[in-house]
Amino acid sequence: MNNRTPGWLGFLSLVTFSALMAAPLLWLVLTSLKTPEQMASEPYSWWPSPIRWQNYSDAVTAIPFFRYLANTLILCVGNVVGTLISCSLAAYAFARLRWPGRDVLFAVLIATMLLPWQVTMVPRFLVIRELGLYDTLGALIVPKFLGEAFYIFLLRQFFLTVPQSLIDAARLDGCSEVGILMRVMLPLCKPALLTVGLLEFVATWNDYGGPLLYLNDPERFPLAYGLEQFISSHSSELNLLLAAAVLFTLPIALLFAVLQRAFLSGIATTGMKG
Amino acid sequence: MNGNSSKSEMQAAYWMATPWLIGFTVLTVYPFLASLYWSFCRYDMLSAPKWVGLANYRRISTELFSGGTLAQAIFNTTYFAILSVSLSVVLGVLLAVMLSWEVRGRAVFRTICYLPSVVPIVAACVLWIVLLDPQQGMINEILLKLGIPAQGWFKSTSSAFWPPAWPEDHAGRIVGSKDGLVLMGVWGVGNLLVIYLAAIADIPPQLYEAAELDGAGRWRQFWHVTLPMLTPVIFFNVVVGLIHSVQAFTQIYIVSDGQGDPAGATLTLSLHLFLAAFKELDLGYASAVAWMLFVIILLITIWLFRTSHRWVHHQGGA
Repeated sequence: MNNRTPGWLGFLSLVTFSALMAAPLLWLVLTSLKTPEQMASEPYSWWPSPIRWQNYSDAVTAIPFFRYLANTLILCVGNVVGTLISCSLAAYAFARLRWPGRDVLFAVLIATMLLPWQVTMVPRFLVIRELGLYDTLGALIVPKFLGEAFYIFLLRQFFLTVPQSLIDAARLDGCSEVGILMRVMLPLCKPALLTVGLLEFVATWNDYGGPLLYLNDPERFPLAYGLEQFISSHSSELNLLLAAAVLFTLPIALLFAVLQRAFLSGIATTGMKG
Repeated sequence: MNGNSSKSEMQAAYWMATPWLIGFTVLTVYPFLASLYWSFCRYDMLSAPKWVGLANYRRISTELFSGGTLAQAIFNTTYFAILSVSLSVVLGVLLAVMLSWEVRGRAVFRTICYLPSVVPIVAACVLWIVLLDPQQGMINEILLKLGIPAQGWFKSTSSAFWPPAWPEDHAGRIVGSKDGLVLMGVWGVGNLLVIYLAAIADIPPQLYEAAELDGAGRWRQFWHVTLPMLTPVIFFNVVVGLIHSVQAFTQIYIVSDGQGDPAGATLTLSLHLFLAAFKELDLGYASAVAWMLFVIILLITIWLFRTSHRWVHHQGGA
């Protein structure tokens, strides 16, 4: 059918647009392998020659890369675990249990998703500080153990699809509600858990606002925040800065390559990323 | 089911919902009410909040009409949001249509166009700050080769589309920092592509067959079949896009050195109220601005939903 196959002009514009989208990333990777002299050389050449892998080893020593990475990983693990536990518990209560106030609270939960973060930012900051969490990774992790509306909503939608007969059978066998959640729901909803875990992992990996607000001691900076500090202090060593940016992007790109389906189903259910 | 088991069901439900209930109370309900109360107070985090009535809101309206920082922040936010959303709709639809074509290597083209949207925002900022550098940046080099003068990008206060002018008068207009931010955002259009592509795949082939029988060519099929069928997704794009871009913070903070540089050209509402709260410790005023932002977003959303029937095509209505 002709609306599905383009003419040569259409094909040419597809190639052009794709090239424009790809060019910045391609430039990033190639330039991160150049020597400082090559970066300034005339006439300009995209291709690094010779390829300078040393930029990468220099980049990880120019900033405390591994310390930042360790902080990021602690945050990622903490946040993913916290989110999965708190949200699947609440989602089960909302999806499969009957209790007074459930429907009202669920409507309120949906409404909170519309609240801009700016409205609650200041009092939230003071609550976290009162709890003694300021300038600790806990400031970012502890709230994740207290559930998040969006993930609860997402998991609830999946829990609703599990047949009631399975739950009834488990109850007859004397299984507790937590037991049902653990042994019936979660195993059946693995794709949903993977999606939620992945979204939270990526959101944590990328998070800049949280550390900006709650962290002060460079010892505790995660990569996203530490890398940004690098922009102003090392602006003369652009090749190192770009190498660090590549290193920071690579794990997320790989994660996408491996778990493409979970990424896309996250977008399909929500229409946006994290 | 007997009464006993449903009582235990209730108990189970309450304790399972407890973590969220605690978080909801402490991290949402209390902050929500506190910021509303503080918006009527003078509060600096050091001494107790002091009730000042409408003073903060009066300050907002004075600043608005006298063209103060707040007026500038509202202009910047509006410019950024409108340009970001309209470009994302145009590019989203255009790219999705092209990526839906059955051509060799389609999966590769799709991956290429999606990939920029997974790049972490901080890495994207590093990349674009270097690319758009007015002196050494790659983009200006290319523009110069094409005979287009170097642009100011993140270092310039001007903007490409404001004040509006006829195309011939646009010559010599410098593309500035807000435009740079928009460009950076549009590069990450990949998430939207996924949704647009799914919507295109859902369009019944019969509609195209009927259009073809009526003698409609490629363009007419696009205008009369594809585009109307995509309006629900475009509507979603506009609503979510506006909410997101009005609240955008990280990329703006990084690109503007955390203060709206150059000369307040990238000072948006988000950044303005962040600085009022954490730099000037004027929490009362910051809370009032946050509530104003909330009300603006709410009104825009309601207005979009109210007017949507005029242009959003719903299937199966009749």
